[in-house]
Amino acid sequence: MDAAAPKPKENQGEPLPRVDARLKVTGQAHYPADLPTANIAYGALATSSIARGKVTKLRLDDARAVPGLLDIVTYGDMDKVDKPKFGNSSATSVGPLHDRTIFHDGQIIALAVAETFEAAEEAAQLIRAEYDEEKPTASFDSPGTKTVAAAGKSPMFKEDVKAGDFDAAFAAAAVKIDQRYSTPTQHHNPIELFSTTAYWQGDQLVVHEPSQNVTGWKVELARQLKMDPAKVRIVSPFIGGAFGSKGPMTPRTAIVAVAAKRLGRPVRCVTSRMQAFGTQTYRAETRHRIRIGAGKDGRITAFAHEGWEVTSRPDLYVVGGTSATGRMYGYGSVLTHVSLVQADRNTPGYMRSPPETPYVYALENAMDEMAATLGMDPVEFRRINEPKTEPIGKKPFSSRSLIQCYDQAAEAFGWAKRDPKVGAMRDGDWLVGMGCATAIYPTAVAPCAARVRLTIDGDVRLQCGSHEIGTGVRTVAGQMASERLGVAIDRISVEMGDSSLPPAPVSGGSISTASVCSAVLKACDAIRTKLYAAATAEGGPLAGSHNEDFDLADGKIVAKSGASAKVEDVLKTMQVGAIEEYAEFAPKGATPEALKKLYAGTPEFHGGDQDEDSVKYAFGAEFVEVRVNRYTREIRVPRIVGAFAAGRIMNTRTARSQLMGGMIWGIGQALHEATEVDRRYARYVNRDLQDYLVPVNADIKDLQVILVPEVDHAVNPAGVKGLGELGNVGTAAAVASAVYHATGKRIRDLPIRIEQLLV
Amino acid sequence: MSQPSALSTNGLSRRKFMAGTVSAAAAAPLLTSTARAEAPTATQPTLRQPVVTSLRINKQAYELSLDTRTSLLDALRDHIGLTGTKKGCDHGQCGACTVLVDGKRVLSCLSFAVMNDGKDVTTIEGLASTDGKLHPMQQAFIDQDAFQCGYCTPGQIMSAIGCVNEGHADSENDIRDYMSGNICRCAAYPNIVAAILQARGETRGA
Repeated sequence: MDAAAPKPKENQGEPLPRVDARLKVTGQAHYPADLPTANIAYGALATSSIARGKVTKLRLDDARAVPGLLDIVTYGDMDKVDKPKFGNSSATSVGPLHDRTIFHDGQIIALAVAETFEAAEEAAQLIRAEYDEEKPTASFDSPGTKTVAAAGKSPMFKEDVKAGDFDAAFAAAAVKIDQRYSTPTQHHNPIELFSTTAYWQGDQLVVHEPSQNVTGWKVELARQLKMDPAKVRIVSPFIGGAFGSKGPMTPRTAIVAVAAKRLGRPVRCVTSRMQAFGTQTYRAETRHRIRIGAGKDGRITAFAHEGWEVTSRPDLYVVGGTSATGRMYGYGSVLTHVSLVQADRNTPGYMRSPPETPYVYALENAMDEMAATLGMDPVEFRRINEPKTEPIGKKPFSSRSLIQCYDQAAEAFGWAKRDPKVGAMRDGDWLVGMGCATAIYPTAVAPCAARVRLTIDGDVRLQCGSHEIGTGVRTVAGQMASERLGVAIDRISVEMGDSSLPPAPVSGGSISTASVCSAVLKACDAIRTKLYAAATAEGGPLAGSHNEDFDLADGKIVAKSGASAKVEDVLKTMQVGAIEEYAEFAPKGATPEALKKLYAGTPEFHGGDQDEDSVKYAFGAEFVEVRVNRYTREIRVPRIVGAFAAGRIMNTRTARSQLMGGMIWGIGQALHEATEVDRRYARYVNRDLQDYLVPVNADIKDLQVILVPEVDHAVNPAGVKGLGELGNVGTAAAVASAVYHATGKRIRDLPIRIEQLLV
Repeated sequence: MSQPSALSTNGLSRRKFMAGTVSAAAAAPLLTSTARAEAPTATQPTLRQPVVTSLRINKQAYELSLDTRTSLLDALRDHIGLTGTKKGCDHGQCGACTVLVDGKRVLSCLSFAVMNDGKDVTTIEGLASTDGKLHPMQQAFIDQDAFQCGYCTPGQIMSAIGCVNEGHADSENDIRDYMSGNICRCAAYPNIVAAILQARGETRGA
């Protein structure tokens, strides 16, 4: 088999090609801005050129003079709709056209609508604002920041986890480190541009927009527009990369909907790549102080993690990864604290593994330094600090295969051949370094609904309002139905990405496969129950048999005894042409409100650190080889190996691809990605794909993903742990570890660039 | 067939053209005083006049009346309805809009439609044969799972065909270098290289 389609091991599903693969290679997969819409008008945004102050005057005459201009939506035009409400369905509480106050650079000040894209762009560029400008606060260390404790201030972050007496344990520790780390602002930059297309059919509103959360958006948009949510439809059949950026809706959506209403025709606004930096969310920059104390035997006795994160003035977004770092190893004592630093910036948001990427980076870089300080092998250091229960609540892990991951990845990587001495490995002019780090991601699950129909012709139609953001969720949902109904995958059609479908939770937090597959499983099992009952009823083809011995395969009910009956014949005896089941899945521990909240677009998350019985996480271990040129200090990553255990793997092909993409994201975190902020004006500088660096093909060479078998029945009925956000956690620390091994330089501020290695 | 009137397209890239017309507007946000830069000279009216442009796309002839500022990308997507070609940056930085013009890969966002008058354009929709058989590169992208979200994929496939036909697919390192103008944010890069290795032989013969 090709590397792309790993042979399934225990508890791993077949590497079927994606069910939508043909559409994607022929240009027939329609992303929201591709959906044919008649008589469309084009919108272009005008955005503020200051970060703080007030718009005193807008000069629109030049814009209005552009031939083909149809309308300009600006201050006053949104007065009849409500402002956004900050939360999982809305990126910010700022209603940019509700108020002339400017909260950040690049804030929307108007939408120009014209007959053509060219005319709309020309008009938007001719809109002139005059400002009453105030000096903005850009970031950490800028004058005018306001720092608040995260815990208790935001519903996003409950508490600063702690255990035991850190101060005493740290003071008494024989070996200790106390270091600071930082991660920069980063923007998701999915290759699909952000866009909104809106049109009205009578009093009903249809929005085509790439979304990871169609149900949540439907409800929030209806609230803003003071409409019945049943009259709002969000359509997002394919999403061109999301990574969290399309989880919360931004204020643009309502503005375009209002423009379409005023004009009485469809309006499409495709945000430019540059404008996306200020009108969408981003990964907040973070700072960390980590203290680790251990005995000379390497057993950790004290761990403290303090984090500081930039957020906006109006909204307290919390990154907050201490819940995971505080539970990672068997520390004797734990102290954590998270602070929010408010500045004149747009509100940050979820970006792939939002809490874990920066926080686990800091922890794992510190773990590597601690191992070096102790003179221990970094793998052995993790091994001896492997916990029996998590240190905060003393709960067991539902499953934890971290050491198996380390062992398998280390063997594949050839860790034993590493000379542990710093700077000892060379290849010509290249200094060779090898490092490793742990990946962790909480395993959560949320309520989800699905409708499955099995027809007498043997076709299956599966409907679920989840989102195909590239994860392969369409494929794995189809695979679950295929397996439970005994129908080949090519007879199954899977519909997703539309708020008129049964609701699914936001496609975030790596919950989709677990939540969707659990709902599909439930619907399919309800169909099985009906089929079996009909088959064994008096006069049925399997009358007298016991249905617990049954399975469905190749369009037949097959009993253990060998007896079988065609599904088609069973449906005939039932005198129906199809069986359709609508299933609502609610995870263990769900509140009585859980399903109501699913329909309201505010689904409950369970699992992770939330459950009473155990904590639930997926783990991995990553090993990286770097090469640093002895003269130029150019850094290359020729080799990376990751081993991951994530419960049941639905499809080894899509799972491997997601983990591979995550590991490459991790290389980008380590070496490339940073949004530069002009500290004078609180403005993003490198607002395009030329200057915002992401990994390209030439940056990646030998990459290996190992799927470590793991069985976990406690996480959810499907037995699935999410892995879309696992692969990029820890990678940057593994790179930093390898850079240290090659050069002796411990880099604690990301990204690691040549200049840090020149000094 | 109508000629593209006033605008000579010889040696005129979109980037140079835009620099001459809207750069003053683009530069304005860099100033911070309340007194803004003078309004830029209005775009010359002739540039807004629609021009009849003849394009041959996927072996089919189209005659379009276009604003001269219309990129080949926007002409394909908004005027012809071939939305397989994607807009990822509109600045020639991501490769999602790659098409073949007279057999060579071109960033369609950096090329005005009028500059392609009379040329042969191939888009992702034109690769599979009429009986539905996929181009070997399309099949290889499926086999090697060389995409996730699929948005950059049309550009990757067109670029991959261009890369092979240019003779830049002899080694894995060559492929990586000559495919680095096509960003895949899902980061399917190793699978893209595997797909090109799988399909290069058949593509050369295609």
